[in-house]
Amino acid sequence: MSGAASFLALAGRRIAASLLLLVGASFLIYFTIRSAPGDAVDAITPMGTPPEIKEKLAAEFGLDQGVLGGYGVWLSRSATGDFGESLVFAPGQTVMEVAGPAFEKTLLLSGGALFATVVLSILLALFLGEPSARQQGLTGALYFITSAPGFVSAVVFSAAVNAGVQRFVEQAGHETPAWYPIPIYSDSIVPYFFAGFVLVMGDGLLMDTFNAVRAEILGVRGAQFIAAVRARGASVTPHLWLNLAIPIFSAFVSRLPVVLGGVVIVEYVFTLDGAGYLLLEASKQRDFPVVVGLSVLFTLAVIVVGLLSDVARSVIDQREVARDG
Amino acid sequence: MTAPLLSIEDLIIEFDTQQGRRRVVDGVSFSVGQGEVLGILGESGSGKTLSTLSILGLVPGRPGVVSGHIRAHTDAGEVDFLAELPSVVAGGTAERAYQKDDRRWQRIVQRTMKPYWGQFATAVFQNPKQSLDPLMTIGRQLDESVALANPSLDRAAVRARSVDWLRRVQLHDPERVAASYAHELSGGMCQRAMIAVALAREPRLLIADEPTTGLDTTVRAEIVGLFKALLRDRRRAMLYISHDIREVLFLADRVIVMRHGKVLEETSADDLRHGRGRRHPYTASLLEAADLPVGEAA
Amino acid sequence: MTVKWSDLGLRLSGAVVVAVMVVGLVALVIPYDPADAVSYDTLLNPPSAAHWLGTDGQGRDVLMRLVKGTEAFFLPGLMGGLIAVVLGGLAGAYTGYAAGPLRSALVGLLQLVDTLPRLVFIILLCTIRNPSIPLIAVVAGLLFVPTVATVVRRKVEALASEDYILAHIAHGFTPARILLHHILWLQCWPLLVRQAAFVFGYVLFVETGLSYLGDYGVQEPDPSWGNMVAQVKDLAGAGAWPWLAPAVAIVVTIASFLAFGNLVARKGEEALR
Repeated sequence: MSGAASFLALAGRRIAASLLLLVGASFLIYFTIRSAPGDAVDAITPMGTPPEIKEKLAAEFGLDQGVLGGYGVWLSRSATGDFGESLVFAPGQTVMEVAGPAFEKTLLLSGGALFATVVLSILLALFLGEPSARQQGLTGALYFITSAPGFVSAVVFSAAVNAGVQRFVEQAGHETPAWYPIPIYSDSIVPYFFAGFVLVMGDGLLMDTFNAVRAEILGVRGAQFIAAVRARGASVTPHLWLNLAIPIFSAFVSRLPVVLGGVVIVEYVFTLDGAGYLLLEASKQRDFPVVVGLSVLFTLAVIVVGLLSDVARSVIDQREVARDG
Repeated sequence: MTAPLLSIEDLIIEFDTQQGRRRVVDGVSFSVGQGEVLGILGESGSGKTLSTLSILGLVPGRPGVVSGHIRAHTDAGEVDFLAELPSVVAGGTAERAYQKDDRRWQRIVQRTMKPYWGQFATAVFQNPKQSLDPLMTIGRQLDESVALANPSLDRAAVRARSVDWLRRVQLHDPERVAASYAHELSGGMCQRAMIAVALAREPRLLIADEPTTGLDTTVRAEIVGLFKALLRDRRRAMLYISHDIREVLFLADRVIVMRHGKVLEETSADDLRHGRGRRHPYTASLLEAADLPVGEAA
Repeated sequence: MTVKWSDLGLRLSGAVVVAVMVVGLVALVIPYDPADAVSYDTLLNPPSAAHWLGTDGQGRDVLMRLVKGTEAFFLPGLMGGLIAVVLGGLAGAYTGYAAGPLRSALVGLLQLVDTLPRLVFIILLCTIRNPSIPLIAVVAGLLFVPTVATVVRRKVEALASEDYILAHIAHGFTPARILLHHILWLQCWPLLVRQAAFVFGYVLFVETGLSYLGDYGVQEPDPSWGNMVAQVKDLAGAGAWPWLAPAVAIVVTIASFLAFGNLVARKGEEALR
């Protein structure tokens, strides 16, 4: 099989596997919906919903049928992106209209935070590689600070920033920023940077990524072929980067689910209108179609990113293609 | 008589283990002449690999001490590699200590040895599949060596010479090999490619550390034959390390026998082959085990 | 130098883990009536002899609420960790050893569960059923089963070809006994300890997070480290102790459990080699 053909075959297989994954995960979500005790419709609608809306919802979610049949009904609608309409949060608008722009913001925020994490991890791995006493202490301190859950870091960080800004404004008589005090809702982009910082520094993300990246760097650096390259006076750098590209990229991708979890609470603390904040607000207001739609979108994001990374990996590492092709 | 290309004097390598300081290379001395093939014969643990890898500064980074002299006759004149490295231990003795994972020390070694790597010596190791970058084509790795040895050539010329090298190491369809990756080739083909990469760098000395280990028996004989053919013009010297006495006798001009970190005997390969001269008992036992004439035992 | 630091880390984190366990057990038996604790004479007092960590916005003793707050996550955390480790260990052992359609189905199911973003799924669950904390912990434990199973499966696959395992088979031990006792119990315990500690930390994170958000989790006036931290919104700089103390407690506890799990696992793996 030619290189291009076997690559396409591999990509095709991966896409099929991802679709299967999506179907299975969405079924798990649907199963959870149906597992609600009592009348499913009542469980998923806020109090005081008029009966015709309840009926519409029941039809959309296939609640009148068995689990499998209902799943079929729901899947066929959702696969087209039709998650129904928002009940409470933004009545009249479809879920996709509400969730789409919010999701873009969340993806940007999460992607940016992840990228910063990987870059920081690489820098840390290069400088904190040796187990000297001072660096062990520094590493230990970093571990401690960054293991804080996102909302704790966010709260402490916000309080510190608020106190700092207050002093700054009082003393120097400057203007209060639009985003002060956190968590006031504003159009400013500054809270996004705060949120990104907290995302990187919380939930153990940084040190976990650092560990993985450092292990990869040490692994490749110690490989026999690197010693062979050095022994003939050639530059090790291109070999290092080529062999580290995939592992570092995998480290990036495999941590997206963690960041998506963290971003939910962080968006809430900083009042950013991303998908995480939307998820929580809709949940509070029991706007069920929005909650379900967002859950599926979050899952889809994880699957798509995983698929893209798999395919990208096959481009660089021909061994995979050879093994499966 | 021309100066030897490489001369190792009183090389001592000690490692700090949990049981204390262990001396792994114990006062080893030998030399290699220009264009000569020196065979280093010994079993595992004899210190043969460490002694020779230390020439390239490739001794594994474990805490310990190295002392002695590694004198090389390079393009830049006479150099003592060990003297180039900064002495870490203060005091009268010229001991140089190195630390595990000590990046600073590794960086110093690398910076010191870099001018000599490739130009003076290159190496071919065991496990050929591990010696090649798994994510680069053979051709690209060969181009690396060729370009370093011939900086004035353009890319097309470099690639032409790489393909020529692949032909010289007796690989069929060298263009296809150049476009292949290490995992697509057999062990024997990888080792041939590795030899090409090492020789394309045009070093004055080639160090081969058990290059046939891990290969099938028939392939082993082919690789040994390849070495013989490639070094026929005596432009390069070679240090051939092996535990296989037949290989060593086939390739070498002179042979040293090592055991427990010491050089037990140094003799011409010719004498060994024909059972001439007095033998050290250990060498005699090696010859006997391989069904070769022993001659007089010492 | 390396050994010294990890010993110190082991001792520190171990001390915190033990302390939290003790406090958790104590909290289960100490009576506490949150309505009783309200006292308008002592609003937002700084730390004093009577109130070691001061009082909060309703005059309640912070230290007492801190102790009582462990109730929300202590047993659920242990439960979640146990579920993840037991089910994950069994699943990992089976998928590492067996072959066939059942194994493939199990691997597929594990991969499915692994794909779900955990917190998002938990919020979905909360929206549908408004579950109790123990149920959330059970679900969290289940969500971690694939992670544990993968780790165990790799280990089982690596060990299955070892000579001494083949010797055990030759001696007549049943595969089940070899898998469960020799491999899972004797060889995998460091991995399982690390995972259990991690899941405990995760349950703590979920419980405090949900309680912080307010609609799910522990509701006022019952104490939870999460809803104590939430007071930062109401206090707005008037006093730091009521929300800073639980925030520090959360960070210290999670960090210690993670560190302890990692260090114990590392020592165990070294010992087994």
